[in-house]
Amino acid sequence: MSKPPSSRGFGERLQHWLPRLVLSPSFVLVLFFVYGFILWTTYISFSNSGMLPDYTWAGTRQWSRLWSSWTWGIALHNIWVFGLLYIVTCTALGLLLAILLDQRIRAEGTLRTIYLYPMALSFIVTGTAWQWFLNPGLGLERTMHSLGWESFSFNWLIDANMAIYTVVIAAVWQATGFIMAMFLAGLRGIDGEMIKAAQIDGAPAWKIYLRIIIPQLRPVFLSAIVVLAHLAIKSFDLIVAMTGGGPGNATAVPATFMYSYAFSRNEMGIASASAVFMLAVIAALIIPYLYSELRESRS
Amino acid sequence: MSFLHIHNVHKRFGDTHVLKGIDIAIEKGDFLVLVGPSGCGKSTLLNMIAGLDAISEGELLLNGERINDLHPSRRDIAMVFQSYALYPSMTVAGNIGFGLEMRKVPKAKRREAIQRAAELLQIENLLNRKPAQLSGGQRQRVAMGRALVREPQLFLFDEPLSNLDAKLRVDMRTEIKQLHQRLGTTIVYVTHDQIEAMTLATRIAVMRGGELQQLGTPQSVYDDPNNLFVAGFMGSPSMNLVTARITRQDGALVARIASANNEVTLPIVRDRAALEAWCDRDVMLGLRPEAITDPASANREDGEIHEAELEVALVEPTGADLYVVTRLGGRSINARMRPGAPLSPGQSTRFAFDVSRMVAFDPETEARIRDETDATTQVTARPAALGQNV
Ligand SMILES: Nc1ncnc2c1ncn2[C@@H]1O[C@H](COP(=O)(O)OP(=O)(O)OP(=O)(O)O)[C@@H](O)[C@H]1O
Ligand SMILES: [Mg+2]
Repeated sequence: MSKPPSSRGFGERLQHWLPRLVLSPSFVLVLFFVYGFILWTTYISFSNSGMLPDYTWAGTRQWSRLWSSWTWGIALHNIWVFGLLYIVTCTALGLLLAILLDQRIRAEGTLRTIYLYPMALSFIVTGTAWQWFLNPGLGLERTMHSLGWESFSFNWLIDANMAIYTVVIAAVWQATGFIMAMFLAGLRGIDGEMIKAAQIDGAPAWKIYLRIIIPQLRPVFLSAIVVLAHLAIKSFDLIVAMTGGGPGNATAVPATFMYSYAFSRNEMGIASASAVFMLAVIAALIIPYLYSELRESRS
Repeated sequence: MSFLHIHNVHKRFGDTHVLKGIDIAIEKGDFLVLVGPSGCGKSTLLNMIAGLDAISEGELLLNGERINDLHPSRRDIAMVFQSYALYPSMTVAGNIGFGLEMRKVPKAKRREAIQRAAELLQIENLLNRKPAQLSGGQRQRVAMGRALVREPQLFLFDEPLSNLDAKLRVDMRTEIKQLHQRLGTTIVYVTHDQIEAMTLATRIAVMRGGELQQLGTPQSVYDDPNNLFVAGFMGSPSMNLVTARITRQDGALVARIASANNEVTLPIVRDRAALEAWCDRDVMLGLRPEAITDPASANREDGEIHEAELEVALVEPTGADLYVVTRLGGRSINARMRPGAPLSPGQSTRFAFDVSRMVAFDPETEARIRDETDATTQVTARPAALGQNV
């Protein structure tokens, strides 16, 4: 952009500078509070910080403490189990629901809205609601008992081996509708003549889906997986509201690990190291995706 | 018994009556072209033959067998779509072979059939590509290969060439015609393009608003239209239509076309008996541009030439021909003259009218005014010509 010559009027100069003026505060804020703090956190993870920031350089001490921590191991294991089940179940259920809705059924609009509603709730609400619902003393189990089914028992929420699956159930309940909407949009984009051609070719409906339609949904699968993967890694509020990471450490994930080390255990250095690690994993997922998306839209 | 018999077929989408009783019968080896303006129900009719749309009323017979309720895959037909509808995740070979694969044809036989179809269409070198890597013309060929490979009884084409550029469209048109002649297949073909219809068809069905206007050979539809709509729709440039008064002059029936500054009287030689009843009334006269020429290029052997002096309003050279526009009866009249004729606007010249090709229409009902005998000769030309409605 060329420099505005002084001969230009005030209005023109204003027009030239106004967009920059309006954007600059938010630019400065983002620069400072997002990227600035990323750098700050990264530095803290290589420092001696405990309860308060301490800027003495400690090399990789916090990192080796992190990786030798027993709780961190559980958190990593949990995020694996949770993430994998969450992504696979959401994708499979979302696709199935989208295919069922795509059969031009009458109540489609209503059903689509019903399935999408959970996504409008915050994770805290979802977590609390499911916590009540699955709480043996309050929800499902108690209802069954009062209905006369005395032997009914569903206590996964307080079972250390099963608690993580209750989180999966709640998270899947929330995100499936959204994934379904993504797949439905993809299905609607498929050329109807192609399906007619496949019918004439003699393919039964399930083969048309399997061989012709689903392979064309590859970009939707990719988007769905990326969205779900980063939701999984960020799943903090849901777990806090539902199990608080417990019973014990049974549902701890890296996000709750980081939170408890930073704010209740006064181990800022380890917490920072875990935060930087999470950022690195998300970046490794998102950057290639954004790169391929942007390249596609440019060409 | 005809090969494909569409018998009084109706289609309703809810309250909208899209097809209102279509009757068409064709023989084995026929090339039937459905033409008509957009929205007249051509694709709907084709989809019903394919089994992709249910038939609301009427019967569909293929080879004497009622196929109304047969699933598309059991009708032994193949269809080529306007969008080609290739499967993007499969290679060209996979696309062509998909129908055979679904019919559980063994792999070796399938490969052989794919190879044969590919050779026929000259796409052997493309067999391992994906549709996205093909040009429009190549995709078109693959779509045809997918239809050909199954050797069905009946081929359906829904505007297969409309996505190609003009030059490629002409090439593919020739190729489809050659394929039809070589393989002797029966084809139903939908198009907007009436040149495509004239060159490809052995039978043309002209449709309007869900009704069949005329069914016949391309020549009979062109020379002997059933009504004003068919006359105006077929042919490019279109037929000249002008109001004329039928009177008697020296005992003979004539048509007088009059306007403020000129008057032409043409003798009536065609449909004379029917036009007797129209004496002293107005009719709509139709004459093709090539039936109005310069006297030197007039065909005096087969035609009956009547000359008149008229003023040239406009000259449009196309290279092969010279279209000369004049004013007659308040309308612009297009005449096809020999190229290089020394004519310029404002000049008077002699026009030669071939009155043996003149047709007349009822200006109210738009129906053709035609002798009984004339109509029967048209039908005996092809006994299967049903549905001469309107
Ligand atoms: N599913 C449907 N529901 C309601 N009306 C329909 C439906 N499909 C087609 N029609 C109507 O039927 C009529 C015929 O449609 P069709 O597609 O057969 O026309 P067409 O002759 O093939 O036109 P074009 O030359 O533009 O392809 C149109 O008026 C269209 O609006
Ligand atoms: Mg159509």
